[in-house]
Amino acid sequence: MAENELKQILTQLDTLKANNLSEAPKLLSRAKLALLNLNALVPTEQTQPQHLALAASLLEYGALISIRLQDTDAFTRYFQQLQPFYSLPSDRLGSRRQSNQGKVTGLYLLLLLSVGDYAGFHTVLEGLEASSGKEQIEKDEFIQYPVRLEQALMEGSYDKVWGETKGERVPSEEFGVFSEVLVNTIRSEIASCSERAYPSLPISNAKNLLFLDSEGAVIQFAQSRGWVAKEGRIYFPEQEQEMLAAQKDVMSSSNVVIENTLGYARKLETIV
Amino acid sequence: MADKMDVDAVNGEREEETVGPASDLPPERIIINNFDLIRQAVDAFDSRFILRALRSISTLRKSDKFAEAIVQGVRTAFPKPSMGARKVLEDVLPDNVTAMQNGTSAPSAEDKKKDASAEEQQLPEIWAYLGILVQVYLYDTQQFQEGADFSTNFVEKIRSWNRRTLDQIGAKAYFYYALFHETLDPKPPSKQSPVIEVRPKLLAALRSAVLRKDNDTQAAVTVLLLRNYISTADITQADLLVAQTQFPTAATNNQVCRYLYYLGRIRAIQLAYTEAHDHLESATRKSPTTGPAIGFYSQSMKLQIVVELLMGDIPERSVFRQPALEAALYPYFKLVQAVRVGDLQAFLRCVTNNEGQFRKDGTYTLILRLRQNVIKTGVRMLSLSYSRISLRDICTRLHISSEESAEYITAKAIRDGVIEATLDHQNGHMVTNPQRDAYSTTEPSEAFHARIEALLGLRDECVMAMRYPMNKHRQELSEAAKARERERELAKEIVEGEGDDGDGDEGGFEGM
Repeated sequence: MAENELKQILTQLDTLKANNLSEAPKLLSRAKLALLNLNALVPTEQTQPQHLALAASLLEYGALISIRLQDTDAFTRYFQQLQPFYSLPSDRLGSRRQSNQGKVTGLYLLLLLSVGDYAGFHTVLEGLEASSGKEQIEKDEFIQYPVRLEQALMEGSYDKVWGETKGERVPSEEFGVFSEVLVNTIRSEIASCSERAYPSLPISNAKNLLFLDSEGAVIQFAQSRGWVAKEGRIYFPEQEQEMLAAQKDVMSSSNVVIENTLGYARKLETIV
Repeated sequence: MADKMDVDAVNGEREEETVGPASDLPPERIIINNFDLIRQAVDAFDSRFILRALRSISTLRKSDKFAEAIVQGVRTAFPKPSMGARKVLEDVLPDNVTAMQNGTSAPSAEDKKKDASAEEQQLPEIWAYLGILVQVYLYDTQQFQEGADFSTNFVEKIRSWNRRTLDQIGAKAYFYYALFHETLDPKPPSKQSPVIEVRPKLLAALRSAVLRKDNDTQAAVTVLLLRNYISTADITQADLLVAQTQFPTAATNNQVCRYLYYLGRIRAIQLAYTEAHDHLESATRKSPTTGPAIGFYSQSMKLQIVVELLMGDIPERSVFRQPALEAALYPYFKLVQAVRVGDLQAFLRCVTNNEGQFRKDGTYTLILRLRQNVIKTGVRMLSLSYSRISLRDICTRLHISSEESAEYITAKAIRDGVIEATLDHQNGHMVTNPQRDAYSTTEPSEAFHARIEALLGLRDECVMAMRYPMNKHRQELSEAAKARERERELAKEIVEGEGDDGDGDEGGFEGM
C-alpha cells in the first residue's frame, strides 16, 4: 500500500518540470511518511532490499531538488540521512536504476567549499578515500569537480576557478547553483590579495582581474571595499593604514615584553 | 593508518626490558609464580604487582610450549574439571594439548597444589589473567574468529566484577577484544567491518570505567575507540569523542602516546596543523624509540614530518639520520627535498612513485594538500633570488599553466605573507621589497618567549609527574597523632608542676 504510493510519488518526481518545483516539497514529505510506514527511513537489519532502494532513491531526489530550490539546510539533512544507506553493502541495496551517490556527495563537497568549511571538506574527502577507494573517486566526475576547485582555490589559481564555473565545464545543472557563490568568493579573495599586492591598478585591468563585466561595475565594487578610484586608477588606502598599524605594533609591544619578563620573574621565584 | 603491530609494540616496550630473571624458568612456572604476584596485589591492594605479572606475557608468548603452559596454569588454578571457569578457558585451547595434559604431567602438578587451591576459592584476577593468556594465544595462532567470540564474553565478565585490582587486566582484555575484531573480515575501511559492531560495547566500557574511576580501562578504551573511528575514517565521530571525554591524567605513558598520536591525526585532517603538530611532537618525544615500539615511533614521525611540511616548516635533517628510521623515512626524505626547493615536478614525481607507501601510512591525502606549499616555496625562492622577475618567467620556472594563474598565485603569496613584494600589472612583473632586518621586529623576543614557555611547561609537568609512596601520609598522620599525644602529656606534666611550683613557666609552652 505505502509501497505503491511511494513508487507513484517517485515517478511523479521524475517527471516534475522545472517550473513547478515548488510542488516537490509536499510530495517529498508525503513520501517520507510512506517511508516511515514501511520502516525504511532509517535502514535496519529487517528492512527489505527493495524498500531500501526506494528509500535511497527518494532521499537522493530530495537532496537534488532541495539544491535546485537553493535550500541548503534541507540538502544537508538529506545528505546526512543518506549516509547510512551509502554505508550498506551494495548487494543489500538491490538493483537500482542508477545511483546518484557521486552526485550528491559532490554537491555536498561543493556546499562545504562555498561556505568556506575546508576542515569539513577534507574530513568528508578522507572518509570517501577510505571507504570507496581511489579509483572510484578519480573516475567520478562529480567528485573530481569540487576537488579540482579546492586545489585551484588553495593554490590561488583563481582564473582556473573562474573557468570551471563556466557553463560547459560544470558537470550537471545542480552544480551550477554554486557557481554564483563561488565567483563571489574568489572575487573577494582576489580583492584582498590585490589590496596587498599592487600599489595601484588601472581600472581596465582591474575589470579583467576581478572578472567583472564593465568599468562601472569595477567602480561600484571598489567603492564597496572602500578603495579610491581616481584618474583611471584604483588606489588601496588600507595599505597605508596597515603600515601605520605595524609601526604602532612595535611600539606597543613593550607592554608585552614587560609582562613576559614579570612572568619569568614570578616563575623563577616559584622554582627557586 | 598505524599498523596493529605498532600499537602492540608500544605495549611490548616495557615488557621487553624488565623480563629479568624470570626468563629462564619454564613457562608454566612463570605463570604459576605470577599467581602469587596477583594474590599479593589483591591482598596489598597494589596494582604494581599485577603490572609485573602482565609484563611476562611477552616472554611467555615466545615459548613454543605456550599452550601447554596455559593449560597447566588453568589446571593449577582450577583443579576440578567440572569448574565452570576452567571449562570456559579450556574450550578454546587445542584439544590435543588438553588431552595430553590429562594423561601424564598434569596430575603431579595438580596434586601438589591441590590442598592449597581448595581453600583458595580462586580470585577473579587469576581467572582474568589466564583469560588474557588465552587471548594472546589465540591471537598468535591466528584464530581470530574464536578469539573475537571468546573476548566478547570475557570482557563482559570482567565488567560485571567491578574490582579495582582487575583494572589493568581489564584494560588489556579490551585491547585484545578490539584487536580481534579488527582482524576479522571485512577489514576496517569497509563500512560493514565488525569494528563498527564493537563500538557500543566499547562506549559502555568507557562509561563504566569513568563512573568507577578506573583510569586504566578508561585510557585504554578511549584510545581503542579513537583508533576504531579513524580506521573507518569517521573523523567527525572521533572528534566528538575527544570533545566529550576527558583523557585521564594518570594514564600510563604508552596510552598517552597513542592518544596524542590519534589526536594529532584528527587535527591534521581538520587542517588544524599547529595543534596537530603539538600533539604529534609530544607523542614522538614521549614514545620509546627503540625495541618493538619503533613501529609506532616511525609512524608518528612520518605524520609529524608531513604536518610540519604543511605548516610551511622544513623538518630537520637529523630526523632522517636516525639509523632505525632511515629506510622507513626515505620516501619522506625525497618529499621534503622536493618541497624545500619548490620543485613541483619533482614533488609530483615523488608522490606518484611512492603512492603505495603513502597510502599505507595514511598520509596520502595529507600529502596531496602539500601541492600549494610547493608552489608557495617556489615563489619564495624566486622572490629571494631576483629583485625583479617577469610573470612569464615565473610561469616557466614553476610550470604554471598560464600567466594569469601566476599573477593570482603571487598575489595570494603576498597576501599570505609568504613573500614581501609588489606586483606591477602593466609591465607584468613582480618586484621584491628589500628584506627588513629581523632583529628590528618582535620576532626574536617571540621565539625567546616560546622557548621559555616550553621549558616552564616541562618543569610543571615534571613536578606533577612526581610519585609519592602510597601510605606516606598515613605515616605522617600517625606521627602527628603521636606528637599530639606527647604534647598533651607534657602539658599535663606542666600543669601538675604548676601546682607544685605555684607559678608557671610560660616559655615552656612556646617551646612546644
